[in-house]
Amino acid sequence: MTLLAALNAADATREVMWNISHSWVMYVLLVPTMLIAGYGVYKQVQKWRSGQPAARFDRPAERIMRVINHVLLQQATLRDRFAGVFHFMLFWGMITLTIATTVVLIQHDFGIEIMKGRFYLYFQSLFVDVLGVLAMLGVAVLAVRRWVLRPKKLVYTDESTWLLVLLFVIMGTGYLLEGWRIAVTNDPWGIWSPAGIIVSKASLAVAGVGTLKTLHLFTWWFHLVIVFGLIAWAPYTKLLHVLTAPLNIYTADLDHGGGTLKQIDFESAQSFGINSLEQFTWKDLLDLDACTECGRCTSVCPANTVGKQLSPRDIILDMQGLLDRSDLASLTGKADGQQPDEYDPAFPIIGATDNLSSDALFECTTCAACVEICPVSIEQLPKIVDMRRFQVMEQAEFPQQMQDAISSLEERGHPFKGTQLSRVDWAAGMDVPLIEDVEAPEVLLWVGCGGALVDRNQKSTRALANLLKKANVNFAILGREETCTGDPARRIGNEFLFETLATQNIETLKTHNIKNVLTSCPHCFNTFRNEYPKLGGNFEVMHHTTYLARLIGEGHLKLDAQATEKIAFHDPCYLGRHNGITDAPRKLLKEVSQQPLVEMEKHGRQSFCCGGGGGMSFVDEPADQRVNQERAKQALATDADTVAVGCPFCTTMMEDGINAVKGDREMAVKDVAEVMWEALEGK
Amino acid sequence: MKTLVCLKQILDPEIPPRDFTINRDSRQAVQGSANLVTNIFCENALESALQLRERSEGEIAALAFGPASAEDSLRKALALKADEACLVEDDSTAYRNSATTALVLAAAIKKLGEFDIIMVGREAGDWGAGQTGGLLAERLGLPCVTFVDHIEASGDGVTLRRQTELGWEKVEVKLPLVVTISNHEENVPRIPKTRDIMMSARKPVTNWKLSDIDLTDEDLKTTGDALDVIDLFIPEKKTDCEFIEGDSLDDKIDEFAKRLAGIVQSA
Repeated sequence: MTLLAALNAADATREVMWNISHSWVMYVLLVPTMLIAGYGVYKQVQKWRSGQPAARFDRPAERIMRVINHVLLQQATLRDRFAGVFHFMLFWGMITLTIATTVVLIQHDFGIEIMKGRFYLYFQSLFVDVLGVLAMLGVAVLAVRRWVLRPKKLVYTDESTWLLVLLFVIMGTGYLLEGWRIAVTNDPWGIWSPAGIIVSKASLAVAGVGTLKTLHLFTWWFHLVIVFGLIAWAPYTKLLHVLTAPLNIYTADLDHGGGTLKQIDFESAQSFGINSLEQFTWKDLLDLDACTECGRCTSVCPANTVGKQLSPRDIILDMQGLLDRSDLASLTGKADGQQPDEYDPAFPIIGATDNLSSDALFECTTCAACVEICPVSIEQLPKIVDMRRFQVMEQAEFPQQMQDAISSLEERGHPFKGTQLSRVDWAAGMDVPLIEDVEAPEVLLWVGCGGALVDRNQKSTRALANLLKKANVNFAILGREETCTGDPARRIGNEFLFETLATQNIETLKTHNIKNVLTSCPHCFNTFRNEYPKLGGNFEVMHHTTYLARLIGEGHLKLDAQATEKIAFHDPCYLGRHNGITDAPRKLLKEVSQQPLVEMEKHGRQSFCCGGGGGMSFVDEPADQRVNQERAKQALATDADTVAVGCPFCTTMMEDGINAVKGDREMAVKDVAEVMWEALEGK
Repeated sequence: MKTLVCLKQILDPEIPPRDFTINRDSRQAVQGSANLVTNIFCENALESALQLRERSEGEIAALAFGPASAEDSLRKALALKADEACLVEDDSTAYRNSATTALVLAAAIKKLGEFDIIMVGREAGDWGAGQTGGLLAERLGLPCVTFVDHIEASGDGVTLRRQTELGWEKVEVKLPLVVTISNHEENVPRIPKTRDIMMSARKPVTNWKLSDIDLTDEDLKTTGDALDVIDLFIPEKKTDCEFIEGDSLDDKIDEFAKRLAGIVQSA
């Protein structure tokens, strides 16, 4: 302290390029480094630019906020607590070290003397030193994760190993250089570099000043070569995400949490759907290069969880392989058939690998868990639907039961082939007003195919209608005039049929002068809310949970807590994840139940699909690969008596799943409206 | 090989029972909320024809007799790449029995030209008479093989597989002939590609009136009178459920057995 006290902090600095001569060699080496790296980036940028147009630069303020949240604050990355925290340390450590190097550059190459005084001590010495240690710790822990813990979701490549080793070596040699410089120059400010001073003291204990000076010289050049090597190589590795991830997050889809499906101009489109990289938009191609191989998408994919082929991570990585960043076979080990030797934008991608097989694509429930979890805003789901479209509309080759659903939609306007129910059977004896009998109804109750044509759901629909009557809501139904919104057609991949049904429905609702639509089906809700406006259908649409919450809030419906069962809420994907509605149903259930609400481990926007989306509810899954049974097990792991749902598809999928795996345990599945109506009726 | 497939448009047979209505006076089903669809066995026939063309080349013509709306069935056939389509438009809403249909189809086929195989569905999902194929063969003076579910070209004829009560029969037949097609997992109708659906809207469909095939209302009256529908009604569905009383399970079983025996005896 006496020594420190004797010094004036304002004079604090160090000699830049101490011990280094012939520094011009560095600039000579920098030229090929930047050329190689620059070419790597340029090559990829050219590929992205060859993609189809996509408008992703509007609303800059929102986009900047996304970058702040997900790049600077790493919010999405931190959702995986373990890897997230250590990535955060590595991220900010590397940023800080890069700033520190820039400070050296400013001082040395531009001759601006900024490396002095308190800035030098507090930032350039202390802060940089601490952050660098954190970054090194981050790399070390991530290496242990990769080599010892070995989570299934990661991709194990030599590239990943080398990147971790190089980062560690670069930072390690950095501290050796700092420590040896402090030791040899007997730096009076050395104490401000805690890691450096430890290296300095330890080195002096085993070696003399002369040895350290020589070691410093050689290590300095070694450090430089490794750094330049990594910079040159980075654009050819997944480290490219340092550039692509922020760009991808900036250009993310702001409109729809699950990813907006593209519209097709059927008059001019060369291809209905996508079967080659050149047909994707530039954003789709950028997505491929933004992937960091973290595997979160696949780890949350319901189809993959139950052991199916579908893996959103590998769909992205295999397409990235075709975009010529890496060798396909080495990434997945599953490349079959012919692969192009070099980037071929017209190469047919469907079936190019097992991961891109038609079978895998048609296992997707379109739940969008992959899109939701991705830390770098990759839109896996729209690409899967793009390729499904090709199979459906250009090839007419897709699962038979989905074909049956599509044929039924074409012929009968609903996907439930063979149903014995009509659109109005559920209302038998209930005096539910039809649209033609009501003068200007306040809301149209859009029952949906799931709510009307499936036995089980008649009870839920009746409960909802009863609640509306109880609250004296002036509502009506379309009855036989109602047809499917087109959601299953769109998700299966028949965009043409979707447009036909949508246009017809919009026309019907306009004819009846409908303004407000109420529905208990989140799929219908999503279609009305996010997709009909693009086809000229602007209606105010509410999900029944939101509407019922409003009725209670405004005092139209009085609800004393009367349900005695313990209730857990299963978030429907198209309500929670796709549309961000997670509070309204919970509010209702808390209101109606005497017991505290139970939460499943996966809930809210991170909920796990019932298995029924994307046309999958029409498909018989293999007995040992049923998504609904997986979700049923998650529900049974709670101590709830009842699983409340807010979707007719979830109701049947969950009920079937629970009945199949519950054993002796009793667990009921009820729509939120059913829970409420039963409570009101005192059942 | 030149194939002709006859397609019948009918009321959707999968309509929920509650939505199915009839007009007892006119002795006809009422369309109500039911859609018009192509009879499933006719779709099986078209699929069989498409598969035969894939195996041994040739052309497919589609023919329908019905109201103007039956053009939809033909458009779908065109979307599935049938080479030509012809509608004999029926202006009347009168019930057309199998004999009348066969008469009209035969006249149209004669005008359309020579065909090696004429395929019809084994029966239609509305009246389910299952007579048209045989009657058509009779009119054309051709052999007829019924309940066929697989067709293979062989030499100057075809090898047919037909369903029987006991299994399958393999039949070798010389061309030309009429076959009635039954369903099998091999001839599940495919669905058309979207682009082909769009293209089919622009393809021509030959539209003939009865007079174009030299038939008069009088001709149709002759065959029409051959069959008279006296009444048409929806059978009333009745289920009686009775719980058998008794002091013990054994008593209940005894009583149940007695009742069963009674029913068997009376039958």
